[in-house]
Amino acid sequence: MADSNYDSNYILEVKHLCQSFTSGRGKKKITVHAVDDVSFGVRPAETFGLVGESGCGKTTTGRTIIRLYNPTSGEMYFNGRDIAGKMDKDLRKYLTDNIAMIFQDPIESLNPRMTIEEIVGEGLKIRGVTDPKEVRSRVVSMLRKVGLTEEHATRYPHEFSGGQRQRIGIARAIITEPKLVIADEPVSALDVSIQAQVINLLNDLKEEMGLTILFIAHNLSVVKYFSDRIGVMYFGKLVEVANGDDLYKHPLHPYTKALLSAIPEPNPLTERTRQRVDYDPKRDHDYSQEKPSMVEVEPGHFVYCSPSELEKYKAEIAAR
Amino acid sequence: MAAEMMNNDVILSVKDLRINFRAYGGLVQAVRGVSFDLHRGETLAIVGESGSGKSVSIKAILGILANNAIIESGEILYDGMDLTKVTEDDFHQIRGKRIGLIFQDPLSALNPIMKIGKQITEVLHLHTKMTKEQARARAIELMEAVGIPDAPRRFEQYPFQFSGGMRQRIVIAIALAGDPEILICDEPTTALDVTVQAKILELINQIKKDRNLSVIFITHDLGVVANMADRVNVMYAGKIVETGTAEEIFFEPAHPYTWALLSSMPDLQTKERLMAIPGTPPNMIYPPKGDAFAARNRYAMKIDFEKEPPFFKLSDTHMAATWLLHPKASAVNKIEMPEILRARIERMKKMGEANNG
Amino acid sequence: MIDLKKPLPQELIDLPESDFQMVQSEEIHDEKFQTKPIGFFKDAMIRLSKSAVAVTSFTIIVLIILSSLIVPNITGYGYRQQNIAAKDLPPRIPLLEDIGIADGTRVLKNRKKEALSDTSRYPEGSVLEIVREFEAKGVAMVDVKVDAYVYAGVPTDEYHWFGTDYLGRDLCTRLFKGARVSLIIAFVSVVTNVIIGVIYGAISGYYGGKVDIVMTHFAEVLDGLPYVVVTILFMLLLGAGITSLILAMCVTGWIGTSRLIRAQFFRFKEREYVLAARTLGVGDIALIFRHILPNCVGPLITRAMIAIPGAIFSESFLAYIGLGIAPPEPSIGILLSDGQNVLLQYPYQTFFPAVLISVLMIAFNMFANGLRDALDPTKRGEE
Repeated sequence: MADSNYDSNYILEVKHLCQSFTSGRGKKKITVHAVDDVSFGVRPAETFGLVGESGCGKTTTGRTIIRLYNPTSGEMYFNGRDIAGKMDKDLRKYLTDNIAMIFQDPIESLNPRMTIEEIVGEGLKIRGVTDPKEVRSRVVSMLRKVGLTEEHATRYPHEFSGGQRQRIGIARAIITEPKLVIADEPVSALDVSIQAQVINLLNDLKEEMGLTILFIAHNLSVVKYFSDRIGVMYFGKLVEVANGDDLYKHPLHPYTKALLSAIPEPNPLTERTRQRVDYDPKRDHDYSQEKPSMVEVEPGHFVYCSPSELEKYKAEIAAR
Repeated sequence: MAAEMMNNDVILSVKDLRINFRAYGGLVQAVRGVSFDLHRGETLAIVGESGSGKSVSIKAILGILANNAIIESGEILYDGMDLTKVTEDDFHQIRGKRIGLIFQDPLSALNPIMKIGKQITEVLHLHTKMTKEQARARAIELMEAVGIPDAPRRFEQYPFQFSGGMRQRIVIAIALAGDPEILICDEPTTALDVTVQAKILELINQIKKDRNLSVIFITHDLGVVANMADRVNVMYAGKIVETGTAEEIFFEPAHPYTWALLSSMPDLQTKERLMAIPGTPPNMIYPPKGDAFAARNRYAMKIDFEKEPPFFKLSDTHMAATWLLHPKASAVNKIEMPEILRARIERMKKMGEANNG
Repeated sequence: MIDLKKPLPQELIDLPESDFQMVQSEEIHDEKFQTKPIGFFKDAMIRLSKSAVAVTSFTIIVLIILSSLIVPNITGYGYRQQNIAAKDLPPRIPLLEDIGIADGTRVLKNRKKEALSDTSRYPEGSVLEIVREFEAKGVAMVDVKVDAYVYAGVPTDEYHWFGTDYLGRDLCTRLFKGARVSLIIAFVSVVTNVIIGVIYGAISGYYGGKVDIVMTHFAEVLDGLPYVVVTILFMLLLGAGITSLILAMCVTGWIGTSRLIRAQFFRFKEREYVLAARTLGVGDIALIFRHILPNCVGPLITRAMIAIPGAIFSESFLAYIGLGIAPPEPSIGILLSDGQNVLLQYPYQTFFPAVLISVLMIAFNMFANGLRDALDPTKRGEE
């Protein structure tokens, strides 16, 4: 663990993670760098938000951490243990015991051919809980926890509404009591009135179970509300990491500024006078001379920048 | 501002519209007596969750209801016509030409195997008598108007060569091709990223100003509503539950559903626990008696389950259908909007003053 | 609309204050379901049973299968039982014969009129009616309608419902015996194809990558073999019989199924619920059989149902070009092929097998369509 500033406290640490996908063969081979040199750390019991627009690599990052994909290069540590290495039985068990995932689409993420009890109880069965009565009672108590009833256990997913399905997905993820939950856009497919149900539920569970959450979403308002610290991604790169208020009040990277300026707020007075800033990487950065890297500009506030940009940001901080 | 609006002439008027859908299991009462006016040059936002009937009302205006829909009663008055009675043939002269439409998904709104230019000129040929060259020139002009750089080259390209935002611009250009006076936007930015969304909203605002369009804007994003709307209709379970100017809806909401809606989403400064709306929307095959929101309403009173509330008028532009506004309600109970909402309104007002003053 | 600045209308003033008591408790729970839980297949069966076409075709299929099992045993004739005297008899069915249909008569053409009185050629009572009289080269000729059964000298209580063939074998017995053979060939080959196809396609689709490339190319090479040649090879090797026909149909028959399953696996393996199961630590085998395969069952059953009439048709085609099972065993294809030789003289020998194979094909196809709709997950819960 090389980063000297504050690393021993990380429960999850990702260093220089790269994930590329190739398609085609021979001359037609195309490589897409979905995640490009991403480094960050998540502290125990905190919520780390990963925000960015579609195709920025935030979902890929989450899926690589839980090893749905094999990382192209880079290091990942969970509680100090290397989780980026070769996938064997031991590592698979370690990962599934400690990390769980909540998915975006409440329709797609539940198997239509299985009952709710089978879906939620599957993780238990894999971990050797074979007594059907015990599975049943633990499933039921978990369903209660997410606001559903015992009667729901024998039902099939199609009978539930979107919000209920998402709560079932949460029950499935946390029934095995993982330490880290990766929540990939858990509310973006839900109606506005339902989103708060799910956000509040996640908040309650986080406090009750001491969960660490990696929260991935494109809606900065939701991420800001839900997360302690936030990482902003743009085209496979992590461009800025800071705690929520810092990021909102003092954004440094021009992309973060553009993103913040584009979020519509439910306030007609400010909306009508909104000043939007544009971000154009070709115009805003000159990386022909100096190579950029992730730098801690002020304590806990990291920005992806070149040395000259760093000077500029430091001046910005001094000026406020 | 609100009073001015009222004096402006009404361009489109929906009166007591009721629409049912034949479905397996019975009649789905999608729209249950909706009335509203659209004034010239204003943007009217319709807010509601899926199934609230907002899209169905708009489809009725455009005459593109699904085959199993029945317009039970009501009328849609536009330019001396009742659009509920216009035949499909006559609708061709209205739709696209006088009322333009922007869809939610720009990808499915464009024909993937037809050149962009052809898709615009096709509409031009349909509604105007133009030569090929004139149509081409006009199409390129439209593409430039919606902010597509290098329009003559892009004229020859296919939809897949455009990004999501650029595609939505093309859809807007097509909607403008007939030179309509009403523009209907059905969640035009839901499928887009935030930064692209901001640009498209700016564009719609710009062309609205340039062409003096009247806009009906459907969305579930309250931030977008605040950005776009002059007036807002809040819909729930096939009915309008509150209507008012944007300021009235955001700063003086009166219906508990509007309260719930406003306090269920965090903004960038929210710290308090969100007020979730419990439960799920009602089954519209058997719409509940009384106030449809009652079962999910923290402020539900006995009468809400028994009797449908009438509209209570709060100002010339502001109405809400809730028994909470009955004087006896506040006499019996202490009624306050949720704390989180009160705090937010306070904060928003302050921010607004700081911004404008 | 009620203007709050003006006095309230009387009916609103009259509302009792008790109506305005807040009634909501702190917690508002999710509603309970009004309906009973219904599993996927039960739901599909309910919808299937509501489709008249599917139910009718299913009944027809069951009737044909039952007939093929029962009829050959109750006609009173063996399917190989020959009676040269009773060859090529037309259909004769009790009761129907009284109204002139299937009454076992036949018109003999260009007979010498004087021979009619020769009882050794025309037994007593065999001549029913002289249809036409004419003269050719000065000889009096007639077309005469005879009772073919009396004419052939078979006992009058003998009935051949569908007539007999050139060896005097009862066609009804042979047709349903043949249907049984054809159905066995079809079912066995389709089931084998489905099993091979599912396993092959599942492995190929689930693992993807290099495994998939090798397996797909192998299947393509196999698919290139002309199947008539394959059939001839098996016939040479194992002799003409059910086994070689089934084997021949299985060599390439599974490829279609495996392609279908492979495509379904590609579609489903990136679904979020499969990813979710993977993050829970579910192993490959359980993923394939518990999570992905059940979602392919709909298209798979539909495909198998369509493959059955296809296999029956293939068998007929092979029999027709002389590659059928060895005589005297019947199959629908053999009967058609035999009947076709005498199509102009004895059309009924072709008619009955042709009707049976057509009904079978249509019934299976209609039933498969009904099944496809019933198993379509997008139509779940509809009534």
